[in-house]
Amino acid sequence: MKKLFLLHFIIFNLCAIEPISPIPLDIEVDHAKANLGKKLFFDTLFSRDNSTSCFSCHDVYDGGADAKIVSIGVEDKKGNIQSPTVLNSRYNFRQFWNGRARDLGEQIHGPIHNPVEHDMDAKTIEARINEMVEYREMFSEVYGGASITYEQVMDAIVEFENALVTPNAKFDKFLRGELELDKDEKEGYVLFKKNGCITCHNGINIGGNSFQKMGTFMEYNEESDYPDRSKITTNPEHKNVFKVPTLRNISKTAPYFHDGSAKTLKEALGVMSKHNLGIILKEHEVEDMVAFLKTLDGEMPKILDIK
Amino acid sequence: MRLKKLISLVIGLGVLSSIAIIYFYIIQKDFTKQHREFLLSLNTFKSAHIDLEHQILQSSIYSYHNQDDMAKNIDSLESEYKALLESKILKDATYIEVKKELQGLQKGLEQHIRSTQNYLMLNASIKNSLVFLSRFIEEANFLQEQDSELFKSSWQILKSFNDAKLMQDIDHINHNNFLLSSNSKDKETQDFITNFNMHSNFLIKKYPPYIQTTKNILSDSTRDKLEEIKKEFSHLALDDFKALDIFASILFSVFIISLFFIIVLFLKYLRENKKLQETTTSLEYSLTHDQLTGLGSRAAFHIKLQETAKPHLLLANVDCFRCINDIYGNDVGNLVLQELSHIITAEFSSTKNASIYRLGGDEFGILFDDIKRNEAFEIAVQLEKKISNYNFLISELSLHLRVSIASNFIAPILENADLALKELKQDYTTRVLEYSEELNLKTNVEDNMNILEHIKLAVKNDNIIPYFQPIINLKTQKIEKYEALVRLRLADGTILEPFKFLEISKKSPYYHNITKSMIEKTLEMAKEFPQYRFSINFSMIDILDAKILEMLCETLRANPKVANRLDIELLESENLQNIEAVQDFISSIQKYGSKVLLDDFGTGYSNFSYFSNLNIDLIKIDGSIVREIENDKRKLHMLKSIHSFSNGMNMKNVAEFVENKEVADLLHEVGVEYAQGYYFGKPLERPLDSDEIIF
Repeated sequence: MKKLFLLHFIIFNLCAIEPISPIPLDIEVDHAKANLGKKLFFDTLFSRDNSTSCFSCHDVYDGGADAKIVSIGVEDKKGNIQSPTVLNSRYNFRQFWNGRARDLGEQIHGPIHNPVEHDMDAKTIEARINEMVEYREMFSEVYGGASITYEQVMDAIVEFENALVTPNAKFDKFLRGELELDKDEKEGYVLFKKNGCITCHNGINIGGNSFQKMGTFMEYNEESDYPDRSKITTNPEHKNVFKVPTLRNISKTAPYFHDGSAKTLKEALGVMSKHNLGIILKEHEVEDMVAFLKTLDGEMPKILDIK
Repeated sequence: MRLKKLISLVIGLGVLSSIAIIYFYIIQKDFTKQHREFLLSLNTFKSAHIDLEHQILQSSIYSYHNQDDMAKNIDSLESEYKALLESKILKDATYIEVKKELQGLQKGLEQHIRSTQNYLMLNASIKNSLVFLSRFIEEANFLQEQDSELFKSSWQILKSFNDAKLMQDIDHINHNNFLLSSNSKDKETQDFITNFNMHSNFLIKKYPPYIQTTKNILSDSTRDKLEEIKKEFSHLALDDFKALDIFASILFSVFIISLFFIIVLFLKYLRENKKLQETTTSLEYSLTHDQLTGLGSRAAFHIKLQETAKPHLLLANVDCFRCINDIYGNDVGNLVLQELSHIITAEFSSTKNASIYRLGGDEFGILFDDIKRNEAFEIAVQLEKKISNYNFLISELSLHLRVSIASNFIAPILENADLALKELKQDYTTRVLEYSEELNLKTNVEDNMNILEHIKLAVKNDNIIPYFQPIINLKTQKIEKYEALVRLRLADGTILEPFKFLEISKKSPYYHNITKSMIEKTLEMAKEFPQYRFSINFSMIDILDAKILEMLCETLRANPKVANRLDIELLESENLQNIEAVQDFISSIQKYGSKVLLDDFGTGYSNFSYFSNLNIDLIKIDGSIVREIENDKRKLHMLKSIHSFSNGMNMKNVAEFVENKEVADLLHEVGVEYAQGYYFGKPLERPLDSDEIIF
């Protein structure tokens, strides 16, 4: 019994400080740029055939990602990975599933130039946007200068993305001591910690701050060929290693995982507990944990309310 | 010239060292800044490295913890490394080795970060399994009763895993009994064993890479290498600092040298300044002191005069000092002046309110402040007596001097005294004179200036005119000729007689014009009155003036009909020096029929010797004789003698200044041929048309 007590002590007392932090209520954003970026975000001119905007795959009104298993880009081409959410992406330590971009400023060039996504280049974007009087006026107001440059366009979109944060999730309010969680939610959070989910899903984004293997305990879908971490590091051990995804607004970003294989949270919990934890969750445990995960849904980004 | 070079050198050194100091300052500042920045960057990098290790340690202790900080740590470690590589100081070739070594850290750093990420992955799953197992065993209460051996084994295996993790030593699990097994057919037991073994197998598989990774992280040599790099950098930097020190020493030396030169310059300046002051003092002395006598100079006198409230000046002048210089030479003259200055100085050595000056070559001034005028006069008299009684013994010569002393207290002091002195010189009997307005000395000067102005104006406006006085033939009692007398008509019509302006005009440039005007106008009148002869007055100096002479001869030659009626009266008031020249003149005009009269005979310089050399036609007997023949028998006798002498020499006489009938009758009786005077007629603007005398 002594040992048991010690174990409990270790688990619950060493973590008196919660390993999850709330999204700050005040973030620094250049609103003029962000508003400009917002307009650009919704504009399909950023695709070869004028079919696709950033918004096409990142529905910022509903989870910031795409309900499809893989997104559809120009000429109805299919992507090779499930679209991650753009919400709260500023808090991710790397961008893309395999973390190949250091930050949003680096990330943005990816989809723009990707032949199955926007299939664009800097020159074409400049040519197109400079033809539009409305943009020219808006840009000269914010950036000055006679013509719009590609860098300015990217900068504006990034600033918009920086503004896409979803504060005041119920769990954040709990963390700030503003309210108490329901019993099942609280149970779910304890299970989240006890089962070790929190080992990887922690920090402000409840994930997004480390790389981890999908199937660390039990190999997952070994034959698949997704752009995982091994594509970057050329280390075969990094097969199926991805950036740990954020769990914020997780209830809205189905389907789940890089391959979009899990349609529901329950399904996703089952897969994760089996492959990464070596645990078979009980039904009531799953329900509690889903209840907890739903407390991570935050408020819509304020910038979306501004017309 | 040497001073100029020295100044240039000092300025050059100053400019050079200023530039060097600025250069040194910039270099030194840059270097120190870069040096500091590099060390700071190095330390920041090092502390980022330590921080990461700290985070790793935390993640190994805690079952779970917020990894955001670690993610940031990895980022900052990378960026700090980048910043370190880009440190400005590394661009210097001196630090190329340091840079190379830093670049060499890259691989290790990348490996370190990779290891960290691997560690995180492994650590997460291992921790999760360990936590799972402990909970799993805890929850398997049934086993404790059913199969306590199995239950105990499960705890021991878990303990081995925990120990191995804590000790980071694979030996704790280096045995074969980490799997559970049981012959029990109980499904629950078998399920427990399966689940347990699954995690146990997983842990056995993951432990070796986990512990290896941990070792890799802990054995990372980046920080040791950093220390070495820091040492090497400091070593290299020390050389640079030494170089800076040497440079600073050189600068300091230059500064000291400059300072030395400045001191030299300053001393030189002081010396020059002293010299200059001495020169100034001696110049000032010589300006205010007479070199010969050491008395105050004229300049000093003027300065003193201005400071004096009630000045009274005694101005002493040596009579005919020039004679001493001429006879005995200037050296004796100078000695006399020195001796004289000693006498005067000794005389007034105890007089407090007197100061003595040498105001001119032989002129001494004694300036009193506040003295009674009769007292001053008495002093002057005493001084004059003393000097005239003094026996000047110079170079075996015994000399006696006389001085004239003017006393004056009326401003302008010196000028008035000077006037009085001049007046004194006219009269040898008086030796001391006090200036006073009554002496009327000053007004003369003013008058002279006025008259000169009048002459100028009259010449300009043709106001020099002849007046004509009739000359009577005493036998016929008729007017036979007229004497032209010069007059000056003022602007207001007043007529000035010659005694008022003629003497002055002789010293002016207008005298020629006056003479010329007289000749021309008399000639005109002679043309108008052919029944009379006319005579013009010429002084001896006129004759000697070639220009006047030429003009006269030219006029006579041009008018031959008038010329034989135009006579010349020679004014014989000055000593005739050049008899030949006078005779030449007389001869030349007598050719034209002109006659020559000798004016004012019987007074002044005229004497009989003239007549042996000069061919004179008539003699004018001076008024001083004529006026008194009536009462003075001596004068009558003189007149008679002159007349008989004239007749004997075949010359006729004209008597001047005949003022009454008695004199006129007496002259007639004596046999004098011609007469003029107020009795017969005053000078008139024009001759009379009739030759009858109007009494």
